[in-house]
Amino acid sequence: MAEDRASEPPSIPPRASIPSGENSVWADVSPLLNAACQDLQEGELIHGDNFNLFAAMSALEIMDPKMDSGIACTYYSLDEAIENGVAPVPISADKTTDVQCVIDIMDHLLACEATWHKGHSLAQTVYSCLYLLRPERTSSHALLHSYCKVIRATCKAILSAVSESRTHEEEDLFTMAYGLPLSGDGDEKCLSLLNAVEETISRQLRSCKASSSKRRVSEDIEPLQNNPDLEEGYCKALLCRLRFRKHFYHLLMSMKRPQGRGLELARKHIASCISEIDYIKKCSDFLRVNAHGMSEQNLENTTASGCQPIGFDASLNCRLSAPTPPRSIKILCWEKALEYFMKLLQDLDVICSYTLAPSLEAALLFVVKFQKSQPDLVARAHLQLLLVQDGKLYGRDPIFSMITRAAGLPEVAEMHDIQKNEFMVQLGQLVINLLKIICTNAAWQRRKLGKMLQDWRVTYVQLEMAFKGEFEEASKAPNNKKVCFKIYQHILAWVEEQTYWIAFRFLNLGFELELYSVHDYCMVYWYTYVVLIKLAEKKHLRMSMSSDSAKKKTKKKRDSFKDGEMDYQISAAVLFLQSQIYLSEGLSMMFAALRNEHRIVPLLSPFNTEHEIFVQQFELLQKACVPDHVSYATFKESTMHANFSTLAMCDYFKEAQRIAKEVKSSFVNDPDTMAELRKIEQVAERNSIALNVCRAGALDPKLKISFAFCHHPFYATAIVKRS
Amino acid sequence: MENVEFDSSEIEYVSYGGEHHLPLIMNLVDQELSEPYSIFTYRYFVYLWPQLSFLAFHKGKCVGTVVCKMGEHRNTFRGYIAMLVVIKPYRGRGIATELVTRSIKVMMESGCEEVTLEAEVTNKGALALYGRLGFIRSKRLFHYYLNGVDAFRLKLLFPRTELHPSLPLMADKYENHMQSDQGDTPFK
Repeated sequence: MAEDRASEPPSIPPRASIPSGENSVWADVSPLLNAACQDLQEGELIHGDNFNLFAAMSALEIMDPKMDSGIACTYYSLDEAIENGVAPVPISADKTTDVQCVIDIMDHLLACEATWHKGHSLAQTVYSCLYLLRPERTSSHALLHSYCKVIRATCKAILSAVSESRTHEEEDLFTMAYGLPLSGDGDEKCLSLLNAVEETISRQLRSCKASSSKRRVSEDIEPLQNNPDLEEGYCKALLCRLRFRKHFYHLLMSMKRPQGRGLELARKHIASCISEIDYIKKCSDFLRVNAHGMSEQNLENTTASGCQPIGFDASLNCRLSAPTPPRSIKILCWEKALEYFMKLLQDLDVICSYTLAPSLEAALLFVVKFQKSQPDLVARAHLQLLLVQDGKLYGRDPIFSMITRAAGLPEVAEMHDIQKNEFMVQLGQLVINLLKIICTNAAWQRRKLGKMLQDWRVTYVQLEMAFKGEFEEASKAPNNKKVCFKIYQHILAWVEEQTYWIAFRFLNLGFELELYSVHDYCMVYWYTYVVLIKLAEKKHLRMSMSSDSAKKKTKKKRDSFKDGEMDYQISAAVLFLQSQIYLSEGLSMMFAALRNEHRIVPLLSPFNTEHEIFVQQFELLQKACVPDHVSYATFKESTMHANFSTLAMCDYFKEAQRIAKEVKSSFVNDPDTMAELRKIEQVAERNSIALNVCRAGALDPKLKISFAFCHHPFYATAIVKRS
Repeated sequence: MENVEFDSSEIEYVSYGGEHHLPLIMNLVDQELSEPYSIFTYRYFVYLWPQLSFLAFHKGKCVGTVVCKMGEHRNTFRGYIAMLVVIKPYRGRGIATELVTRSIKVMMESGCEEVTLEAEVTNKGALALYGRLGFIRSKRLFHYYLNGVDAFRLKLLFPRTELHPSLPLMADKYENHMQSDQGDTPFK
């Protein structure tokens, strides 16, 4: 290969040179390489002591288009690109063309920004814009300059929110910004310049409207561009773009305010952003029709006009910032970019409209529900920053008081010295971590939750030991110790409940991430069933403790009505779990029966058995003893005898359905739980029917059974068909 | 692309035999996988673990290959499947299964406790193949590939002797399995 190349005449085009450094000069190495080529055969390697085969893997093959990022570059440096007129200022001497080109740049930047948010590097997306890379160059062009400034400031704000929240593990491409000019001179004042430009253009718009209606122009205003017929259209197209940027930046600043104090204002800016996006969409036709160059109706377009933007070169940064992969990436198209921003705004609106004083349980459930809409990184990062500020929920309530309230303790406990106990402090940290983790993407979240289970378990054991110490003291101690005793008791029950809640979520997320195969369903539902039993048990225990305290209180107050209501609440929450216990047990037994009755062919690996699969699937749960005394043997024991006739005697699905139906009346004011109960009912009903069909046609070889998640994201529905 | 008519017995499986095999492997991988590898990447694998690499030939033409490694990883001795390729006209006939099974068998005999690899979540064929061999999807790796696609980390855990006193039997079962050459033999 080298020899072929050596025989070719050198045909490197002359280029503007990269200057030599202080201790380096450029030298022609061709003679040296030629000499080396004589000695080395193709693929041979000069072998040094500290250079092994592993190190050799990092070698790049020069001139291989898949590896050599230099080969794909048009220009060697930013200066060279600018000298060659890639990013002229103004873009055109013709004012109309100039405006058209600026709009294309704005649109492509929006597409780049969305692509960045979706997980590509800043260098290859937003900063592929040469105008951003040299902030001072645009200063003579107020419109372009103001837009570039606000883009840089916005990127910087988003970058800092995401880095601060640390929700971006595995999404770290996002925060790489080596050597990129994230802040130009005076970018912090980007809004004043933007406002000034907006003001000028609104005046131009007013003026052209006035002259078109033949009214006398009150003041002499220079128009935006030369063609009076297009003046109104271009003014409008620019105004909605500038206003979108302004409100978007305001929105980010409002969300940053401590203790969620800016959320109400943020919602107003969200509404304005959404209406500006509507205007942007409305003027698309105008821009397409009057496009300056060849405008193509193309799904890949990154601009409203359909024109290619001027002043972008992603390959330049391949060299400017080393870790950027040399591969070219695809920028989202214009429609997809707008869609992305709409979704982001809606997600942020959900965050901003949530109460600032939720209970811990409510906050956790809110995040879980929020995650169902699959929000992207930027929205998740903002949620996390709001939820946990200064170690407090929304920066308002100390975590210890959130815990005591969650554990059903009276308010006096919040001030108790117990919170200084090192294991209580540790528990507080665990709760904060939990809040942060459930804001991350599902893949990362599941792994973190799995690992976290052990920490919860260990903390429980440590708290229990501290509790026993207190207990011995308590017998001979005054009243204060009794309070202590009670706090421990309640918190221990709550820690256990929380541990099983995490385990349940860990198991569920496996379905969302498609980590289980049909062959695993039997054991996964069995494990879910075991975890749910524990969760229900702990919840019941914790709730009855709270209601005992409440009863004592209310009895003093002779308020028996409240008493009764309390009891009813307890059973509803636990019954809700009960319906899921029956459902998961039913599913597990259904899969066991289908296998035992040879309706599902079991997996026959040449290398391992179901036992190893079990060990792997539940490794993190087993390590944390969640729950205790559960093993492959227990799983096998409870499923090996399942068959159609045993299932007929104990109809888990009927039970699940019955309980779900009954408990509904307790949740009339809770639409989320209502919807969940309805889904559980549906899955149970469908599976009950499917099982009956299977039982009746036990000997029918034509019956084919398959499974789908059509009614619920993690409880499967069996579908039986005659082939 | 048309599938090639052939009998399974016509496929010849060969262990990596030296530098002359290298261009064959490189060609195949270069054609089918998007990741760019230099010759040194291939050498790292085939020089250090020649016993884990196999090639499949049909009438003298190389139609498939597997490249692997093994070593200590966080206190476990673990095998890793780096590349597995069968060219399109030869797919769906068990060649990939046979190739990878040979590598895994050597890993097991060499004392590996587990085998891992990554596969794109969209690569249904590979996921099914490894699923049949007893791999589980141990985690999902968010945006693992540069094209933004997620990957699954697949993991095969070998039975531990203390869990299975009948380990020699497992090897026998493996032999029977290979003779029948059916990944989806129904339970007998």
